[in-house]
Amino acid sequence: MSNYIATIGVEVHVELKTKTKIFSNSKNGYGQMANSLTNVIDLGYPGTLPTLNEEVLNLAIKAATVLNCKIRPEIHFDRKNYFYPDNPKNYQITQFATPIGYDGYVEIEVDGEKKKVYIEEMHIEEDTCKSTHRGVKTLLDFNRAGVPLIEIVTKPCMTNSKEAKAYLEKLKELLFYSDISDCKMEEGSMRADANVSIRKKESDPFGTKAEIKNIGSISNVGVSIEKEIERQAKIYDKGETFKPQTRRYDDKLGDTVLMRVKETGNDYRYFPEPDIPFVIVTDERIKNVKKTIPMLPDERREKYLSLGVSEINTTKLIQNRNLSDYFNHLLEEKISHQTASNLLLGDISAYLNKTEKDITDTTLSKERFIELVNLVSNSTLTSKNLKEILEIILESKDSIQSIMKSQGIENITDDKEIREVIQKIISENPESVEDYKNGHDRAIKYLMGQVMKETKGKANPKMANDILKEELQ
Amino acid sequence: MEKKLTKEEVLHVAELARIAVTDEEIKKYQVELKKLLDDVEKINEVEGYDDEILIAPWSNHTDLREDAEGEMLEPKQVLENAPRHSGNYIQVPVVIGESEGA
Repeated sequence: MSNYIATIGVEVHVELKTKTKIFSNSKNGYGQMANSLTNVIDLGYPGTLPTLNEEVLNLAIKAATVLNCKIRPEIHFDRKNYFYPDNPKNYQITQFATPIGYDGYVEIEVDGEKKKVYIEEMHIEEDTCKSTHRGVKTLLDFNRAGVPLIEIVTKPCMTNSKEAKAYLEKLKELLFYSDISDCKMEEGSMRADANVSIRKKESDPFGTKAEIKNIGSISNVGVSIEKEIERQAKIYDKGETFKPQTRRYDDKLGDTVLMRVKETGNDYRYFPEPDIPFVIVTDERIKNVKKTIPMLPDERREKYLSLGVSEINTTKLIQNRNLSDYFNHLLEEKISHQTASNLLLGDISAYLNKTEKDITDTTLSKERFIELVNLVSNSTLTSKNLKEILEIILESKDSIQSIMKSQGIENITDDKEIREVIQKIISENPESVEDYKNGHDRAIKYLMGQVMKETKGKANPKMANDILKEELQ
Repeated sequence: MEKKLTKEEVLHVAELARIAVTDEEIKKYQVELKKLLDDVEKINEVEGYDDEILIAPWSNHTDLREDAEGEMLEPKQVLENAPRHSGNYIQVPVVIGESEGA
């Protein structure tokens, strides 16, 4: 396997998050009763005409923008002709000659090294109906027919499965964060095909290409590419060759299997779709769409790290879009952002998971969260006490301090009161004081324990700690 | 220029159209299809034909539709014109292979 250089290109289909279908006003939905989301246009009835959904155009422009593509100012659609029951018109409306986006790139990082994955083109098309094979029959559900898709095609610029996986992760993150698609591979709203060929040396022409279709998860993309490289290498090692072909990844076999020897592009007899005149993509539309792009993951990462949030918390926040959006409202506030991220990812996440709620379903307004962060930062509210009252905090609208009071969580923050207790403890424990002065760090912990015991746990721990150190000088 | 298509070319077109052809039909189409193709070829002789993509003989642009839901068919209506169905699904003979589109 290591004797060969692999060349990999990836094609991704993504379903767009619109209310209605691309060419008809029936609902774009998933998981509903079969054939309940259709009309005569989706079913390809004679005499019906497609009309382009404006939101599809907007989302495609948005996708082209986040993928750093150039945007074509005038586009049209083409018919891709083929006979198959998933498409009763006997053609799919797609874009062949004038894809809306082209010459883009996505930046990935593999093993600490940054690399650009180049996008050849990105076009708009309609999804086909979903066919399910059951023994001797095939069952058709047209709910998916006409769901808007964008297809994103990379240049053959990747050389291993790690890069392909990193590209897909990045693509998913970008499209999800820009509200273009749900990107749920398990529900088919994001589907990936990989083109794989191998050759001996960089100077050799590209080897014969195999396309692996409809791979169901990002990790399977990795496995199927590796298996395919192995398979091709074995053939070449024997001095044999193979024809260009389409394969699919079989999850149970853990390997790729042959589907068909590939038809060529000419067989689809593409020609311009006469039912949809040219679409003009104006600068004004592009400008307006750009305004709707939220802060993207890379920018979030940079911002969080600059505010002192740890690497691991930054990654976890970005993985949870809702928490990250919530956190974004606090970026300008003068608080400990690390503490804020700890709270969101720790106790608050545990509560949200348990109650299956979203952060925005709780009563935790920005103002109350800031109060909470500050109380935790200065140790007025200990993590033990926080756990006791967290549910109340997230379900009532009272200030955090009034909740603490009503729940009997007192906190002695009076300098004089704490100092008196500490002076008493010091005079009662001369040995520990001696130990501390001789460099035994454990002694201070013992003394702190005595202070907390004396105050029944009510002394503000941070203040007590500071005063104790002061008094021991 | 050849006077007719090869047998393989006719069979290829028949396969794309998913139709079965007899030997006699193949012979007929070798000549007829060739004649059709030659007629279409004449378009290439028109000067300036390749200058721009022609979609339709008018120059107006597409009107975009607002992304708002309209009326849909009941599953019962959808199934009315299907020769066979299984539950709410339209049923067709099993087709080996996967979708060509998308």
